[in-house]
Amino acid sequence: MKHPKNLDFKKWLVNLLKIIALALFLLWTIGPILLVILTSLKNQKDIFTVPPTFIFRLTLDNYSRALVAGDFARYFVNSAFVALVSSLLSVGLGTFCAYALVSLRVRFASLIAQLFLLGKLVPAITMLLPLFALLNMVGLLGTFVGPILAHTAINLPFVIWLIMGFIRDLPEDLEAAALVDGCTAMQAFWKIVVPLVLPGLAASMILSAQFSWNELVFALQLTNLDTYTLPVGISKFVGSISVDWGKSSAAATLTMVPMIIIGCFIQKYIAKGTTGGAVKG
Amino acid sequence: MIRRPYLAMFLILPAVTVVIFAMLIPLGYGLVMSLFDYKIGSETSATFVFLKNYVRFLQDPLAIKSLVITLAFTGLALSLELLLGVGMAVLLRSIPERWARILGAFYSMPLLVSPIIVGLIWRYMYDPTFGVVYYVLSWFGLDSVFGGLEKPGWALFSVAIADVWETTPFVLIVASAGLANIPKELYEAARIDGANALYSLMRITLPLLKKVLLVVIIIRGTDAFRVFDIIYALTGGGPGNSTLSLSIYAFQKGFDQYEMGYAMTISIMTMAALVVVFAPLMKKSYGRSL
Repeated sequence: MKHPKNLDFKKWLVNLLKIIALALFLLWTIGPILLVILTSLKNQKDIFTVPPTFIFRLTLDNYSRALVAGDFARYFVNSAFVALVSSLLSVGLGTFCAYALVSLRVRFASLIAQLFLLGKLVPAITMLLPLFALLNMVGLLGTFVGPILAHTAINLPFVIWLIMGFIRDLPEDLEAAALVDGCTAMQAFWKIVVPLVLPGLAASMILSAQFSWNELVFALQLTNLDTYTLPVGISKFVGSISVDWGKSSAAATLTMVPMIIIGCFIQKYIAKGTTGGAVKG
Repeated sequence: MIRRPYLAMFLILPAVTVVIFAMLIPLGYGLVMSLFDYKIGSETSATFVFLKNYVRFLQDPLAIKSLVITLAFTGLALSLELLLGVGMAVLLRSIPERWARILGAFYSMPLLVSPIIVGLIWRYMYDPTFGVVYYVLSWFGLDSVFGGLEKPGWALFSVAIADVWETTPFVLIVASAGLANIPKELYEAARIDGANALYSLMRITLPLLKKVLLVVIIIRGTDAFRVFDIIYALTGGGPGNSTLSLSIYAFQKGFDQYEMGYAMTISIMTMAALVVVFAPLMKKSYGRSL
């Protein structure tokens, strides 16, 4: 090393720039989220100050208005119901399907798996318009059937691919040994495969529930006043000419905070889950 | 591996049934009804017009405009997200892992927020009178230049920025997962051979990340091409149709103007465009992974 001092300075400068970049990106990602949470705790006057104040009188008024007068408690229950049923359906049906495709030597297994993936190419609107018309014909428009069916169908491809990946990662001898010991294929599935891919099941359950919880388009058109989910309720606020920022911020906070908390637990599965197992986390 | 064809069919069938009912039957129905001219609820009085709706699509200036807007939005959002996401992933890789993990958790938060809430947040921030975006821009004297969601020339850009905020974490997470699979020894070896950081980035990181980036481009690209929620929440397609994506246009035709046949035609053309652009990429990326 000829110029240790010079090198030290360069290293210090690079580190400083790194820290600045990382800090700016942190501000950029969580700033807007914090802003909406803060706004939900402000009274009408403090919401409109420029720049946004960080010192204000805390009030829970917006929450009581959203929950009591705004029917948000009901939307909350509706959303939870739709998310729970559709994620149970997609993980349940998806796991059976994945097991059969990986372990039971199905003819055309890879073709079937790829056909499921094609579902990812269908735009929501292309599915929504005819689904709306069809549900209208059979009188199921406005019920939970529409969003549950749509969310399950959209989640199935990625659930199947994710769980196929998990099953494929299991040591093959394990299943073979179980079968030699006289287990039937279904016993091997319940006693060996399911317990071992449990983390995968949990991750896909959370990811599909999260999709359903956040999804707007299908819920917007296929539900009615009694079956609105949270995103639909919020869209009714946003759509109006003058937005009640306090109330909608409270509703937004109630909707997003549970997902952010749950999301922290599945960090390591997000990469695998969102790419259908194409990228390992 | 055992052969149990009946059991296998029994296990696969339920999932296939859901996809048939929720996707294939609606798609087939949409394809057929795109050949008709009718309004919601009056299917019986639909008149068969064969390909007239498709001819209309090709001659409809607004349809062509929305196709261009959709492509522009996809290109703009995707390139910004790739640049920012991959850049931050590389940066995170270069700091101690403990810090990278904590920061990564915070960085991924926007991904967990419902798109309609992203729209709500950004509408609050883009508000011309009390929005924080204008406030920050005023430090640099740019607040009078920036048009936000109000001016046609700026609206699409502003919507794309909100989309970048929401989905860059996805690129970041997937790129980080890809980076984690590149052995650190490669960088060591390059450094010993006297390569600088830029050389390592161009010759090691990006080439080895190619497969992962392809997956990101497919997933993010198809999502951006289908964009609906965030535009619906921020501008509804305005001002002056300057943010009218294909999905928004089809939605408006169907549910606001009740022209169901034409709306289905637009939505099917959207899917066709999507398949044309992304199916070859998909085949390349997923085709061999089984």
